[in-house]
Amino acid sequence: MSGMAALDVRGLVKAFGGVKAIDNVTFTVPDGSLTAVIGPNGAGKTTVFNLVTNLFRADSGEITFYGESILGLLPERIASLGLIRTFQTARVFPGMTVLENALAGAHLKVRSGMARQMLWLGSARREERTLRAEAEALLDLVRLSGLRDAAGTDLPMGGQKLLEVVRALMARPRLLLLDEPAAGLNDKETEDLAELLSAIRGAGITVIVVEHNMSLVMSISDQIVVMDAGKVAACGTPAEIQKDPRVIAAYVGQGTVTL
Amino acid sequence: MNQAIQTVIAGLLQGSVFAIVALGFSLVYRVTGVINLAQGAFCVLGALTMYTFQVVYGVPLPLALVAAVIATSVVGLVLGAGAFVPALTRLSNSSVLMLTTGLLTFIEGGILVYWGSQPYQLPPFSGFRPVEILGIRVPTQGFWVLGAVALIIVALWYLLVRTTVGMALRACAENRLAAQLMGIDVRRMTLLSFALAALIGAVGGIVVAPVTSLQFDSGHFFTNFGFIAVAVGGIGSFIGSVAGGFVIGIAQQLAAGYISSLFANALALGLLLATLIWRPNGLFTSGPARRQDVRDEQRVYRAIVRLHGAGGASFAIALLAFALALPWFLPPGGLLSSLVITGILYIAVLGLDVLMGHAGQVSLGQAGFMAIGGYTASILATRHGLPPIVGIGAGIVVSLLAALVLSLVTMRLRGHYLALATLAFGLLVDSLSVGMMDVTGGPSGLTGIPSLSIAGYTFATPLSMYYLVLAIIVVLLLALTGAMNSGFGRALKAIRTDQTAAAALGINVPRYKLIAASIAAVLASLSGSLYAFYFHFLSPEMVSTRLSFEMIAMLVVGGEGTLIGALFGVALLTLLPTIFQPLKEYLVMAEGAILVASFLWLPEGIFGTAAIWFGRLMRRFNGKPVPVAKAERSS
Repeated sequence: MSGMAALDVRGLVKAFGGVKAIDNVTFTVPDGSLTAVIGPNGAGKTTVFNLVTNLFRADSGEITFYGESILGLLPERIASLGLIRTFQTARVFPGMTVLENALAGAHLKVRSGMARQMLWLGSARREERTLRAEAEALLDLVRLSGLRDAAGTDLPMGGQKLLEVVRALMARPRLLLLDEPAAGLNDKETEDLAELLSAIRGAGITVIVVEHNMSLVMSISDQIVVMDAGKVAACGTPAEIQKDPRVIAAYVGQGTVTL
Repeated sequence: MNQAIQTVIAGLLQGSVFAIVALGFSLVYRVTGVINLAQGAFCVLGALTMYTFQVVYGVPLPLALVAAVIATSVVGLVLGAGAFVPALTRLSNSSVLMLTTGLLTFIEGGILVYWGSQPYQLPPFSGFRPVEILGIRVPTQGFWVLGAVALIIVALWYLLVRTTVGMALRACAENRLAAQLMGIDVRRMTLLSFALAALIGAVGGIVVAPVTSLQFDSGHFFTNFGFIAVAVGGIGSFIGSVAGGFVIGIAQQLAAGYISSLFANALALGLLLATLIWRPNGLFTSGPARRQDVRDEQRVYRAIVRLHGAGGASFAIALLAFALALPWFLPPGGLLSSLVITGILYIAVLGLDVLMGHAGQVSLGQAGFMAIGGYTASILATRHGLPPIVGIGAGIVVSLLAALVLSLVTMRLRGHYLALATLAFGLLVDSLSVGMMDVTGGPSGLTGIPSLSIAGYTFATPLSMYYLVLAIIVVLLLALTGAMNSGFGRALKAIRTDQTAAAALGINVPRYKLIAASIAAVLASLSGSLYAFYFHFLSPEMVSTRLSFEMIAMLVVGGEGTLIGALFGVALLTLLPTIFQPLKEYLVMAEGAILVASFLWLPEGIFGTAAIWFGRLMRRFNGKPVPVAKAERSS
């Protein structure tokens, strides 16, 4: 975990009306690490994701991705740099099959343009076959390959969340933001997810995950960022976090901790 | 000075009608969030029913008026209960918008069947003699029209603000679900607003019928200008609707009086486009515009239709063999010619399928690009003696430029606003092709257009055109199938349903929308030129907004998002009237009915439904269980 930080967030502020949803948030995600963001509901975890991917515009602060400022870039531009996210409620594309949904994730990797695809050129068809094989392998990993031709939205909630992770992986991200990937998953699916996450780490992809499932968080993460009321309440290794009294207070929900 | 005042008064009269139609739009929009394009047809229906009661049966005026209004409201109730209300719960807002174009066509078709195509005019309520005020002659009917507007506004205000029903109606507008949870019967309230809008339309039509003549398709006129008024004034605002109506009416009369009537329509449409682009919420309202992408929040996920691999290939080969052999088995007569027309129109509908069926961008102006292509190609070929193929190329270039400009100005618009902007574009092209007499030949059209010839060979016979069009279609289908089954098609389909998620995957949404719009424009333009070269004639009527609506019907009936599906829709709506000549009278009505019915009961279209059945049959035949996602996951 040496070298340049994958993501560096400094002094991030975002207010909705008079409410400061994000108040001076600062944290660093080292390259190749798995960082978990935890905190009670409404702490601002998803809002941080939305600011990083510029779904909402930050009021002030600095966001750098491998040394490059991405503040204010268009969402598709941020994605093209290798920063890919999933959503809190799965946003599987309706009207597309499971396989097509997974393939849609590979959008940035498709080299052959519309003209080549229209001409059915060999290069375009080979590329399509390669992507298909890749998608099927990933779907296999989360036990969805048998359902490749079903409508993506026909999957149960857990399956849709896994499919969304697969779709994000198809983009070969450098940094993957997962928003509550275990929400709505049953125990078996959560195991599949844990397996998938360690495979992702094995592939050298940096991950930030917002998650409520504490046993999952404690077992997989290198670093934990605890948020409360729009601020970073604590940041450290799982062992450090487990011992931090302020974290326990915040997470159990005994009022707001003043820092 | 006197003339100016006369013109303003005429504008006020004209504007009151637009205002009444706009009020109907606003009422339905406030309760349902949908623009009901059928609104204008209720005006005509009301007025013609009145004509029958008063002039044909000699019923006294007040009685005839009440009876006509009631009859129109009943029609509104029936159509509302049978089509509009069920559609609201089943379809996305933009699909409902297109469904209402079907209702408009249906009512106009019904009027055509009962009253025929001749114009009608009612006698004025209080005699023909105009009153003179300060030396200015004002027709007495004008007071009736203005009075009706005032009465409708007051009645609407009282209903919505002072009664419990009105409160319930407003609650539905604010939040349907919450209203439902509070015990309000949302379906009944929706139906009530729809019927009430029909009633308002009928009153408007009746009071104006003595000053303008009406015929079966005047509903289009009322709908178009009513919606321009409501969009300029602010959709959903009653005061805005009325103000918008008067502004459009007066502006139009002034422009017509002092410049030309061509300029009048173009001015109104220009005003509309400008409003949609800079102040989508209208000139007379404040606050943020409602700007959801209507296809984003598709309420019903349609079944997925895919014919892959061997199945798709063998189907395509069988279809091609059938198409190649077809001319040799046809009885002599006009059928081959109808097939050529089917093929030419299919090229344009194919473009619409890329834009609407795949990328989910509603376009009510596809025929506008046909007009641009057709006119450019035929003017170059007739007046400047250029080879047709050069004309086709030039038409495509001009259409691409038009598509580029339209896309840039509508880039920020979504859903309804996008649909309305494309409609405005189509209407603008309509009014230009009618009005620019010197260039387009005006309403009577361009004649003497040569046959298409390529490299010395002239496609003069229907048979040669048939094979040429077939070849073009095969090439287009191959290219589009390749693109739609690859990354390009997936990007379009992703945009169709969720632009945020698409952008998060790096899909450049504006760029893909622009490409889809360009493909649609190019294909429409090609189709329009082929149309002109085949008929040796081109008139504004052949490529008007009515055709845009028709092409939507063809696409939906055939099956959206399947490329080949549209062919069946085009064939059905083009060949049926040729095969059953006596049915011609019912054609317009049937077109409307087919569009409405397929939106409601056959959302995957003819081809989609057949493909789904076939898929099920094959799976049963192969002995494999139908994969049901839920069953397998929970095991």
